[in-house]
Amino acid sequence: MIQKPFINSHYRSLAYALLFAMAWLWASWWMGDLFRIAYENSFLTADSTLMHFLWQQSFGSLWIAGRALLLLYRWPILGGLAVACLLTAATWLVGYCLRLRPGWRWLGLLPVGAWMLWTAWTGLNLYYMSEPGRTLGVLVLGVLVCAVDAFVIWTFKSRHRQHPQQEAAPPQPATIACTLCALALCFGLPMLTTKLRHPYARPLARMQVQMLSEDWEGMSCTARDNATLSYRPLAAYYAIALIHTGRLADDMFDIRLDFDSLHVVNYSGFPDIGSGYYTIDCNYAAGLFRATEHKAIERMTMEGPSLFSLKHLTRLALLDYNWDLARKYLTILKLHPFESAFVERYSAMLGSRESVDADPEFALLRQTEPVQDNFESFFEPPVFLGYNCALIARRTPTALTHSLMANLYSKRMPAFLERCQPLVGSTPPRSIAEGLVTQANKNPVILQAFPQLQMTAQVYRNFLQTMGPRLKERPKYARELFDSNRGYYPYYYFFGNLKATRQSGAKEHASSNVGVN
Amino acid sequence: MRKAIFIRMALIVATMAMACCSRKPSSVPTTFTELADSAAIFPDYSDVTIPPNIAPLNVKVSDASATEYVVEMGDLIAGAAKDGKTDIDTTAWRQLLGQNRGKDIAVRVYAHRPGGWVRFVPFTIHVAAEDIDGYLSYRLIEPGYELYRQLGLYQRNLTNFNEAVIYENNRDFSDDDNHCVNCHNFQNYDTEHMLFHVRAAHGGTVVVDGNEAHKIAIKHDSILAAGVYPSWHPTLPLVAFSTNNTGQVFHMYHKEKIEVLDVASDLLLYDVENNSVRHILRSDKYLETFPCWAPDGRRLFYCRAVRPVDDLPENMPMQMAIHYDSLLYDIYSIPFDPDTRSFGEPRLEVDASSQGRSTSVPRVSPDGRYLLYTLGNYGQFHIWHNSADLWAKKIGDEGTEECFPLAAANSDKAESYHSWSSNGRWIAFVSRRLDAAYSRVFIAYFDRDGRAHKPFLLPQRDPDHNTLLLKSYNVPELTKSAVRISVERLNHVVYHTEAERASYTE
Repeated sequence: MIQKPFINSHYRSLAYALLFAMAWLWASWWMGDLFRIAYENSFLTADSTLMHFLWQQSFGSLWIAGRALLLLYRWPILGGLAVACLLTAATWLVGYCLRLRPGWRWLGLLPVGAWMLWTAWTGLNLYYMSEPGRTLGVLVLGVLVCAVDAFVIWTFKSRHRQHPQQEAAPPQPATIACTLCALALCFGLPMLTTKLRHPYARPLARMQVQMLSEDWEGMSCTARDNATLSYRPLAAYYAIALIHTGRLADDMFDIRLDFDSLHVVNYSGFPDIGSGYYTIDCNYAAGLFRATEHKAIERMTMEGPSLFSLKHLTRLALLDYNWDLARKYLTILKLHPFESAFVERYSAMLGSRESVDADPEFALLRQTEPVQDNFESFFEPPVFLGYNCALIARRTPTALTHSLMANLYSKRMPAFLERCQPLVGSTPPRSIAEGLVTQANKNPVILQAFPQLQMTAQVYRNFLQTMGPRLKERPKYARELFDSNRGYYPYYYFFGNLKATRQSGAKEHASSNVGVN
Repeated sequence: MRKAIFIRMALIVATMAMACCSRKPSSVPTTFTELADSAAIFPDYSDVTIPPNIAPLNVKVSDASATEYVVEMGDLIAGAAKDGKTDIDTTAWRQLLGQNRGKDIAVRVYAHRPGGWVRFVPFTIHVAAEDIDGYLSYRLIEPGYELYRQLGLYQRNLTNFNEAVIYENNRDFSDDDNHCVNCHNFQNYDTEHMLFHVRAAHGGTVVVDGNEAHKIAIKHDSILAAGVYPSWHPTLPLVAFSTNNTGQVFHMYHKEKIEVLDVASDLLLYDVENNSVRHILRSDKYLETFPCWAPDGRRLFYCRAVRPVDDLPENMPMQMAIHYDSLLYDIYSIPFDPDTRSFGEPRLEVDASSQGRSTSVPRVSPDGRYLLYTLGNYGQFHIWHNSADLWAKKIGDEGTEECFPLAAANSDKAESYHSWSSNGRWIAFVSRRLDAAYSRVFIAYFDRDGRAHKPFLLPQRDPDHNTLLLKSYNVPELTKSAVRISVERLNHVVYHTEAERASYTE
């Protein structure tokens, strides 16, 4: 008996093994963080009261199936494994159901590739203003339909199965080439789509995953590693990381702040600038707890309960010392299979103001909590910026820093200067010092008040000299000059966040669901 | 049909599985240790007064080390497994209440701890002699703020746990269909005539007449907005509406979260038969809202405040927001002649503003002896005010009028939106007392002397339901009968008919 080459005898198994390995890599490493954040924006429990929102929708059971699969993304490696199994199974089942000849089995990859491409195309809409269980639900449905179809074929058409010899025939080189090309296309196109259409999505999700584990340094590093990407959510989560590391006034301008289009849509399908993506987290990081609750409840109203909303609401109730409300949310979270760590951590605080006050995160955020009441609508949106720009009464020096940075970011220099008064006599942090010297020409008294900034002022004068004619064509040179001026506030002041460099073109579409309730 | 069979089979299997997994004791322990502590039960039904036709009061008993429980209510024994939740047999409960109408029921709670059975301090449930109206209608919606998604009007049969849908808005997000429903109202505790508003897509006011309905639009240049808070005349085909130009603002650092403010408001009278509307009261100086007919239909009660800013332009809620805590509403009434359908001169009924306080939602008892209202520190949207409590005014003979709080029914959180049962012995109202965020329905006995008794939380089959429900109850309205019109018919009216515009008469 002649020994067939290994590749001939195991060609199909090898092809499926390769597909499986690539799918696992894609679903866990490439997309893992995105699905992990989709998991945070989802909620699943056996209780019908809590799942009512989803059950009531068309395809609700399908979304629930998707959410069930999403549960495994509590650990992306596990979620990726499950998705890889489904993708591999789908490929085999499509080939089987369409009764493709062995040489054409690679065609089974096409629906799988199409699903992956769609997933990549949606970007943040994988979960933002969209049902987080949708994409995985569609995958589950596809596999189920194929499985049922295959079962029917297997049961009733078993006599027409392909001849074993035909199945075992060695593959043609063209078949191997087609298979490899199909695999390359199947994985290459979605990855390219993510990279080109949503280049910010993976770093952003990485930062959010790091935030979940309170890895603030890691978040900063991720943002800085992607400093040339310029998207609002990246800037927002970078600012949150800097608040927690105490580096807001030093490192805020280390990343580009020009804000390209996110290519996401809102509930109505209209382009969206994505402010809803980060507003809750930013309000919370800014110590604006009432505003956070406002947005978190609205998120829950529009999307049903999610881990994201429920966790925020739990923390807010604790910060309010409202034990009954915190207990309610914790009771709900307890019904979720994988959130016992969160429940244990915060249940320990119930009934104890001391425990709440001793929590380092809460203590930090309390420093910037307002000291007097106002209405949100009195400030320009988003409120975490508008409020800080207009801040008058403050609780701590940290609140002053936030206010100064908000004004620097918004380039509201008169308001910035007004609020610098308490810093006279001290050495301001880097960005604040650089902000001060940008105004020194117009207002020489600044350098009298901050004589230690003479050197900074000289650097600024050199900067102006170097920039020279480029200041007249700022949009043109903004991107080019970023690398050599990274982190330098005067660069941002002249070249950053220019309306002309904004490419979003998308305005937030007013929701049709607004009313007094 | 197959689906129903499948669901039933699944339920049977699930029930059998649960029965195998959870053991519920069925008899009172013979030996136990008496404790000096009260049992931790939710909801708190100790010393409440309940109607003899109410659904079973299931409770959840919490004890750190107990593995099973027994709740003994008179002759009724309800066991609970480790989760502490009772599921009282409805027939036995009926029998218990039937035997104890107008009497007290002693409740004893036992817990099986590792060291043996213990018994907590017993408490009493008082069973009143008078029934409550059988149905309670309400809206379920997330607590406040600006956005809405899935919401609906529901009707609960108070004698059991059945909750029927009156109307639900679109379940899927759709710009073409997104709409809100609110302000359901019935004529004289009956469901023959009712109405509710539809806002945004498919907007209008749905007026129900038995099994039929139609949609109307109350719009005119001289009317501020559509009709808002309604009150059916007890006998005539007339509805008094307020029309409000309303806005809301969100506190950033305050014990309250939201302020809902009227920039302007007037009162309207809508004639159902002629589909016509006219002003009852219209003034730039005053804000009039929350109309309510007296049971004889000869007087209309309402809330009135002086606008804090005379030259306030319309649609300026921000300007108004600055004065939010100086908006103080009093209760006025205005006589009505049913024959000529004309109104007389307003009369001050409750002067809250002179004491620096503010009233809302006046409701007159069916016997006309008491005016029930909410009193808070300012404003009129008291469900967002922790200071809001239920108060009553005795409106019998001249000179004997007095206002008093319903102390036993109130809490340190917001109480608001109350309604009477048709016999005047029960009031249903919403309160945020459980967690200061989600409003829940409480029912209190209102005795012949004008005293409210300790209220009880609307009973649910699963005592955890109120914890797990992430919606608030709005506008609980008691009625004697169930709503007759079908959901399908209301869906048709809302989605597929145009609102008929009411004619305006000077």
